[in-house]
Amino acid sequence: MAERFDTDTGEGQTSSPDGYNEPQALGFHRLTGAMNAIGTGWIFVIMILMTADVLGRNLFNTPIRGVIEIVTLSIVSVVFIQLADTLRTGKFTRADAFLGAVLLRNPAAGRFLQGVFHLAGAGLLATLCAASWPLLVESWQNGEYLGAIGDFQAPVWIMRAVIVFGSACTTLTFLFLAFADFRAAFAVKGRR
Amino acid sequence: MTENVIIALGCLGAMFVLIYVGMHVAVVLGGVSLIGVWLIRGDFVIASNLLAQAASDAIASHVFGIVPLFVLMGFLVAVADVGRDAFEVAHQVFRRIRGGLGIATVAANAVFAAITGISIASAAVFTRVAVPEMLRFNYTPRFAVGVVAGSSVLGMLIPPSLLMIVYGFLSSESIGAMFVAGIVPGMLLALIYAAGILAMAHFWPSFVGGRFDEGDTPLMGVGTMFVKLVPSIVLILLCLGGIYAGFFTPTEGGAVGAAGALVIALLRRRLSGTGLWKVLLETGHVTVSVSFLIICANIFSRMLAMSGTPQFLIQTINEAGLGQYGFLVIYLLIVIALGTIIDSISIMLICLPLVLPIAEGFGMNLIWFGIVTIVAVEIGLLTPPFGLSVYVVKSTLNDPRVSLGEIFKGSAPFVVMMLIVLTLLVAFPQLSLMLLK
Repeated sequence: MAERFDTDTGEGQTSSPDGYNEPQALGFHRLTGAMNAIGTGWIFVIMILMTADVLGRNLFNTPIRGVIEIVTLSIVSVVFIQLADTLRTGKFTRADAFLGAVLLRNPAAGRFLQGVFHLAGAGLLATLCAASWPLLVESWQNGEYLGAIGDFQAPVWIMRAVIVFGSACTTLTFLFLAFADFRAAFAVKGRR
Repeated sequence: MTENVIIALGCLGAMFVLIYVGMHVAVVLGGVSLIGVWLIRGDFVIASNLLAQAASDAIASHVFGIVPLFVLMGFLVAVADVGRDAFEVAHQVFRRIRGGLGIATVAANAVFAAITGISIASAAVFTRVAVPEMLRFNYTPRFAVGVVAGSSVLGMLIPPSLLMIVYGFLSSESIGAMFVAGIVPGMLLALIYAAGILAMAHFWPSFVGGRFDEGDTPLMGVGTMFVKLVPSIVLILLCLGGIYAGFFTPTEGGAVGAAGALVIALLRRRLSGTGLWKVLLETGHVTVSVSFLIICANIFSRMLAMSGTPQFLIQTINEAGLGQYGFLVIYLLIVIALGTIIDSISIMLICLPLVLPIAEGFGMNLIWFGIVTIVAVEIGLLTPPFGLSVYVVKSTLNDPRVSLGEIFKGSAPFVVMMLIVLTLLVAFPQLSLMLLK
């Protein structure tokens, strides 16, 4: 669920106290932003494909082949290709009540805590990335396909590759965020 | 209590603490479950393989396309001004009734809810549309924002609904059946809201405020009113009608509904190229955060099943002689309590893997159980300190004179009415099941 629904009103326009939505080192946010755009555009394509299939099937008795297979593989890919940017823009779901209060009262402690959380996220995504790699190799070597032979077939390795690449980028984003948090935590402390 | 159950319950406790202090919910669910599986099986490689399996299998179904499609439809109808039109018509219809603008907000929200599946969209739209009108007619700010926040929960109770979709994934119940089951409870809540507003306007006028419309707004003819309702009616027929009639699956209904909403928004010139791109980006972010949560909840439910915790809980409940209603009451109270700090979908993802096997063990109807769960979860949208709908109203309104506390106070009567509806739904399962074959 979107915790911070963009309502175009004030909030989020000032430099963010929690470090989200900031540019990242090496222009990494440009890469994740571009990946996000691809995923976003793809959702639109899925909508068009499915509507065309429904119309074709019900009105002209000509379904579009492979829509189910394409959508099945697309959904996972759409999620992982957009994962890093969703994190960078602060749209990952979390309970703000406690952390928000800490960030307000003691920014240094709040950012330190947040940095620890981001490191935990990096750990989880790195594990996922490493564990998904063998699955990618396997589906590539076996030529795994989805769909009936002779009819439309969608290669599974694309989806696995997106999982590996997407979780690698999300790991890096978590690390960048953690780095920014710790820097902010100690900078605030130093000023006092 | 076996060792594995202790591990699982320990993980559960750790999850609540970590979520409360603000770690990302998905990271908590995935990370703690990973450690749990590691402890149970004594092998990190098995645990990490389970995580990788969850990532590639949990949402790899074309059924899952329903999440981005209904979210997209919800955001598109929000920009297409369909909600404003429904509100203007309802305003005129209820103009001779005391508290009429409040009832109009509820009615327009009910219509809007039938074309959107996300409460935050309802809350944002009606904050812009209904609050200024209510203030113009001297309603108290507290009541105006309260009605909008309160009736926004209809968005996810009247089908389509993102919560019903998530429940369908978790329980393997049909999403189409959930959509049918939600109709009567949604109408019931809208009616009780309307009755409650009427009663408050009579017996507690200082809370409601307001005056009648004495020719301030030019009256619309029947034809104009009809034209204003056409887009909503077309979308309801197109999307829900097509699903109920069996022309297409709920997923395809989402695609058709989103395409229909796009055409309406374009025809009415409410959407520019950049506007569409913003809507798509927003859709992407919501989809990703929901889907990643579901992936992480998948490994959590595998960990629970592996530990045998559901069986242990069933045994404990039986030994305590609680019975199914005792269990249900405790469960609903816990859900409502969690709603004060955690968002709706996260609550469902944490509780349901644990609770669904128990409900099934008692022989409860899982569709009814789902509707009851959703109403209980949605109460959390309105309760402090973390009530999502209230926050959306606050940030959309962006008026320093109306504080968060004020909005929470305004929505309190609606929380009470939701509790009444929840009790009715628990007592009379037929309310949820009557439309199902």
